[in-house]
Amino acid sequence: MAERTGVFICRCGPNIGNSIDVNAVMQEVGRMEEVEFVTDHNLLCSQEGKAFVTEQIKKNNLDRVVIAACTPKQYEQLFMNACRDAGINPFLMQMTNIREQCAWVTADRQEATEKALGFIKAAVSRVKLHESMEKKAIDASPDVLVVGGGVAGLESVLTLAQKGRKVYLVEKTPFIGGVGALLEDVYQTMECAPCMLAPELQEVLQKDNVEVYTHSELEDVVGSYGNFTVKIRKKARYVDIEACIGCNACFDPCPVDVPNLYDQGLSNRKAIYLPFMGALPNVPVIDSEHCMQLYGEECRLCEQACAFGAIRFDDHDEIVEKKVGAIVLATGADLMDPRSIPQYGYGRYENIYSAMELERLYASNGPTGGNIIMKNGKKPESVAFIYCVGRKEKGYCSGICCMYSVKLARHVQEKLPEARVYSLYDDLCLPKKESQVVYKKVKEEGIEFIRAGQSSTVTQAGDKLKVSYDSPIGRKEIIVDMVVLAPAMVPSGDILKLSELFDIPLDVYGFFEQEHLLMKPFGTPLEGVYIAGTCQGPKDIGDSVAQGGAAAGRILSRLVPGEKLELETKVANINEEICSGCRICIGMCPFSAISRDIEKSISVVDETLCRGCGTCSAACPTGAAIARHYTCEQILKEIEGVVQ
Amino acid sequence: MSNYKTKVVGFLCNWCSYEGADRAGAAKLKYPGNLRTIRVMCSGRVEPQFILKAFREGASGVLILGCHPGDCHYKSGNYKAVRRIELLRNMLAQLGIEPERIRLDWVAASEGEKFARVANEMVETIEKLGPLQIKFE
Ligand code: FES
Repeated sequence: MAERTGVFICRCGPNIGNSIDVNAVMQEVGRMEEVEFVTDHNLLCSQEGKAFVTEQIKKNNLDRVVIAACTPKQYEQLFMNACRDAGINPFLMQMTNIREQCAWVTADRQEATEKALGFIKAAVSRVKLHESMEKKAIDASPDVLVVGGGVAGLESVLTLAQKGRKVYLVEKTPFIGGVGALLEDVYQTMECAPCMLAPELQEVLQKDNVEVYTHSELEDVVGSYGNFTVKIRKKARYVDIEACIGCNACFDPCPVDVPNLYDQGLSNRKAIYLPFMGALPNVPVIDSEHCMQLYGEECRLCEQACAFGAIRFDDHDEIVEKKVGAIVLATGADLMDPRSIPQYGYGRYENIYSAMELERLYASNGPTGGNIIMKNGKKPESVAFIYCVGRKEKGYCSGICCMYSVKLARHVQEKLPEARVYSLYDDLCLPKKESQVVYKKVKEEGIEFIRAGQSSTVTQAGDKLKVSYDSPIGRKEIIVDMVVLAPAMVPSGDILKLSELFDIPLDVYGFFEQEHLLMKPFGTPLEGVYIAGTCQGPKDIGDSVAQGGAAAGRILSRLVPGEKLELETKVANINEEICSGCRICIGMCPFSAISRDIEKSISVVDETLCRGCGTCSAACPTGAAIARHYTCEQILKEIEGVVQ
Repeated sequence: MSNYKTKVVGFLCNWCSYEGADRAGAAKLKYPGNLRTIRVMCSGRVEPQFILKAFREGASGVLILGCHPGDCHYKSGNYKAVRRIELLRNMLAQLGIEPERIRLDWVAASEGEKFARVANEMVETIEKLGPLQIKFE
């Protein structure tokens, strides 16, 4: 049966009508063999116009529609709906843009008229080749995996869990709370960090629909949006979480002493330990590398000390498999090791601390119980903070170092009122509306701010440290007891592994690359995998929490229990008959949507991942990869039409 | 009126350049009517076949516009376009089709003015070059 195409030309009031000879166009178009019906209208996008389209389709028994009007960006959906209302598949309609890309830009009426005619002819010959398409939907699991139990991940977990979603939280350390849990207090509110976090942590641990896997790692991911299968490696803790009551009686008898890295190595811990007092879950872990019993020497002292039989030397790693519909990666970041920039003397001279070390020094659950004392046991009488460590080398401002340095400087001043405190900065970056108040207060408290650029160097001067820097009147120096460095935030050590596991890209700095910096900062190129917090780039607690919430919100709105997951309609497919199995398309696809069917030796498209860019189709040497709705044949016809 | 028989086919990516062209329209910027635009989802969708077809149908120039490097809606389609188009240009040069007849450029959604400028420049270049010297078939 021959197609019955209807062409609707909108005059858009005077907008199209004045620049194009619509009557002449109608006459020409009417002569085309495929065209059954052609009409003009004063304003097709009006209610009346839309109804007119529907009515004419029905009345003239049309099965293809061309709308020549404004840009499809504006009303394509409206006209698709008009088609649907008339009972024909909305993809059997083609809009052509005779306003923005013709009437408005062409000075000469004759030229504009010919161009419009070309556009419409192209659309008529193209629409002939259109296929009916239906929105596809698949069953999907509404459950979610969150990787990383810092503030961003926790926010995702709680947002999802509060709506009743089943959430699996995987955290590589033995406790949850992330870096935030190691801090005494937080900028800008200066409130107690453990107090701020505790209710959230408790809620996560107590929610029935949240399964928390601490001391665990993500081992494998397969599948795609809506239907991921993940493998979690639950590392042996050697302490039964259920049986342990957290009395800590096991610590003292343990004969092993090793540096506690959660205290930045400033204190020692036992082989059975809690990272810090107050860590949640309040269940110790045995460090298998240092435990004598696990190493093969008879010991069992902790076991004997435990009144609850919670020690399990026969514990072993377990692989847990779960099915989830979406994944949030909130794996955090690290601070740069200042050793890599020799000018600051870190690692070479005593009494030079990195910011995280000072955080632990003044934390009440830290190695000194909150007393700022140096390794020689003395309190510093003067302290110099050096900001922007690594900014030049990394090529970005982390945007948080000035904030935490101002906070730390203030605390040092508060705890040691007699001490002289200097802040050597390059550019002070203190955004957000509350910051200036804090900064002003800190200055009033007597902390001296010195603009030193990146010129500071630190050397030993007797038992003190000499900090020299450039000033407008030449090189200057100050002698201090203690130096604190504020290093840049850098990607965490395991980000590369995760990026490979998920096949999602890292940006030039090594952080996860977001789908769009401004509009989708929580998205990745892989549908159903989201990022939150500092794994996407340096940010403060507030911004991390916001991103964690946003990622969860996105999941709540798109992955709804009982609802199918709607997929992109204009996806690619592979014609099995002509696919030669060359695999070119597999390497081309930016979303890893194409894989190899080993049995058939051909490529196959995963429609849940394909976003319809068509680059596979452009690259396919045999024409087997077809970009639906933008097929070769359709575009070739369009070319013929516009050039005529 | 310009040498009106000369036609230029423009392939515009849906996310940036097509919007840029719309922006030029909304600002009522003018360019010759012989530039004929076609929407594709991404500049990475444009395959050599399309360009050859345009020449064969009588166009004497082809313009391919995509998102700026790094901005492609599909991450890297525009980089793929660079490679494909470069290769094709070199091959066509062997057949006597001047490389300037194929232009690949970047137009962002906000760049209505740039779109109009590129459109005008392209048509001017092609008009100077005149019709294709090579005959298909
Ligand atoms: S979407 Fe614009 S170039 Fe790829």
